[in-house]
Amino acid sequence: MQASGVQQRDEMFNQRLPFVLVGMVIISGLLILKLLSFQQLAPEVVNELRPDYNREISLATARGIIYDHTGQRLAVNTIEYRIGISPNLVSEKQRVAAQLSTILGLDELATYQSLNSDQPWVQLAVGVNAAVGQELERLKQDGLIALTIEKTPRRNYPQGTLAAQILGFVAGNLRGYYGVEGKFQDQLAARPRTEVISDIPFELPPEQEADQGADIYLTIDRDIQFMVESQLVEAINSTGAKSGTIIVMNPRSGDLLAMASYPSYDPNAFREVQNPEDLKNSAISGIYEPGSVMKVVTVAAALEAGDITSQWTYNDQGRLDMAGIPVFNWDRQAHGVVDVTGVLVQSLNVGAANIALAMGPSDFYKGMSKFGFGRLTGVNLQGEEGGIMHVPGDSEWSESNLLTNSYGQGISVTPLQMITAVSAIANDGLMMQPNIVQRIIRDGQESVSKPIALGRAVSADVANLVRDMMVQVVQNGLDDQASLPGYTVAGKTGTAEIPIPTGYRSDAFIMSFIGFLPADDPQVIVLIKLDAPTSGRWASQVAAPVFRRLAERLVLLMEIPPDAVRQALAAQGGTITEIQR
Amino acid sequence: MSQKAKAKPNWVQHAWRERPGFQLQRQAVALAALGVFVAILMGALYLAQSSSVSTLGRQIEELIIQRNQLEQQNEQFRAEIAELRSVPRLLARAQELGFRSAAENEIEYLYVQGYIPSVDPSVVLAAPAAEALIPAAPTYDESFVGWLQQQWDQLSSQFDSFARGG
Repeated sequence: MQASGVQQRDEMFNQRLPFVLVGMVIISGLLILKLLSFQQLAPEVVNELRPDYNREISLATARGIIYDHTGQRLAVNTIEYRIGISPNLVSEKQRVAAQLSTILGLDELATYQSLNSDQPWVQLAVGVNAAVGQELERLKQDGLIALTIEKTPRRNYPQGTLAAQILGFVAGNLRGYYGVEGKFQDQLAARPRTEVISDIPFELPPEQEADQGADIYLTIDRDIQFMVESQLVEAINSTGAKSGTIIVMNPRSGDLLAMASYPSYDPNAFREVQNPEDLKNSAISGIYEPGSVMKVVTVAAALEAGDITSQWTYNDQGRLDMAGIPVFNWDRQAHGVVDVTGVLVQSLNVGAANIALAMGPSDFYKGMSKFGFGRLTGVNLQGEEGGIMHVPGDSEWSESNLLTNSYGQGISVTPLQMITAVSAIANDGLMMQPNIVQRIIRDGQESVSKPIALGRAVSADVANLVRDMMVQVVQNGLDDQASLPGYTVAGKTGTAEIPIPTGYRSDAFIMSFIGFLPADDPQVIVLIKLDAPTSGRWASQVAAPVFRRLAERLVLLMEIPPDAVRQALAAQGGTITEIQR
Repeated sequence: MSQKAKAKPNWVQHAWRERPGFQLQRQAVALAALGVFVAILMGALYLAQSSSVSTLGRQIEELIIQRNQLEQQNEQFRAEIAELRSVPRLLARAQELGFRSAAENEIEYLYVQGYIPSVDPSVVLAAPAAEALIPAAPTYDESFVGWLQQQWDQLSSQFDSFARGG
């Protein structure tokens, strides 16, 4: 019985086996066909699937860093965070609200209400700093997936208001405006880059190296800049001036060591600036009539052209009527026979006008042009103005311009143009182009800026002659207001009237001083300009003392020894060049 | 019983075991089995390699994220250091520590034999074309009035295009 049962089962197995085998073969065949069909997808299906596998990401780009010439960071990049949350993905709302409010410094109840919102996404905070942002990132990694953390790059100026008008600022569109940020936008900004990465795990991610903008080292010295800005604010407060500018430059190279204007602003908060004019750097864009400082240029140009000699004299009667206008001296007094040095020391308008008459318009404006008036200096900052100088042939020029231009009225310049012109006297007649960039580094390649000569304004002999006259101005013409014990200073004041549509203001003046030291080997030249100060009537009373206070600190910061020490050191075997900073 | 136990082979047994040339077919099957084995082995190797690459890829991605985070942190620290080293803060700290600015008569200058500062005396003559190499920078005009004007212009142009379309 048992054997026949086994036999029956075997027979049944043998009968069914072919069907099972055929069935398996058919199913396997269908599976293989289906697998093969996946290898030949329709193009539209492939196109639809592709975006799911590949995604384009924009790589974070780093704007170049701006340094001062000692390597101190003036402009850097930071990250800010924008924090949001999807309430419907939060299960323990009370606990999460407590956590987030503690980290973000928010009100716990308000946060809890945000988490109970019907909205799919709620913004919790913007402008969150990096430390908090990174803490939240850790929280998200620990399981709070409802949190969204969006990073936004931000330009940061760690020195605050320092050198604001030199640096400019970067707006929300990551473009630089004004100053170095504006002028070197293309170099500082990194090239935006996107890369396609695959979500397919078998494909290795490509190298995601973000582009880096060029780093820029300025010629500015942070310590000198700070001191200059402090002195400017102090001068504004003590003189009652409405605004002002100070520029410190190396006359040998044209390198700008400091440049400050008041009022200024904080580039970290440029949106809060009420008056857009404050964003501009008035040292390079604010034009003014310079006044008697221009007499230095007039005398130098006349000596260079050979229209006068150092022995030239004239009889000063206190007034000159010519070209339909009367020219007066500042004191409305006659000074008798005066030589060229006397014209500068006593700052006589009549003397300057006489020199201009001796030159004639052709020589005069040719000389002015050599000193760069009426055109841009070419400084590497955004927003430079070229000033206004009418020349014979212009519809607005008249013969009276020749007279007034000789003592700095009727001609408009920028503070930078003025200091550049006088720096030619300090640099043996060679006028250097003002420069703010020391070197640019991109991808490890360093390009160092070279001093650029704009041209020879006057010969070395004439420059030295005028320089000696400027020394006389400081020693004999300013009651020691600009003198610095131990140092020979060359300088010239300017008290200029302020033009208005109907003529000139009678109640306010622009007072300026340009000086350089040591006079025999100038290492630094300084321009002080104060607009409408109320503490005095003349630049010798207002601007010259500011120069002295500034120069006292400047020689220490720049390690410029007093003349006696310098000569003693030179006697030990060092040359002036060897002991200069 | 033994004859009964020896059942008649079905057609499959007949085809596989009892038809002529069975030995030859067995070799072919063996070869096929070997082929399948090799294919399975290769598949297994491919899978192992793929999973290894995949793991590596994820690790690299994580390292890239970590590197970016560290770079950001470094940049943040540098910014904080720069803020901490700002002149007003250093001055205040120096005063707290009892330092003061040196007076001129407190400074002694020394001549250092052989010290020559790295001064590059070479001067380049200005080239008028040099200015053109630096691209013109944009002017910032995002004042409130400018923004208002921009909005108005956009609205006007939209209205114009709508009017033309109508």
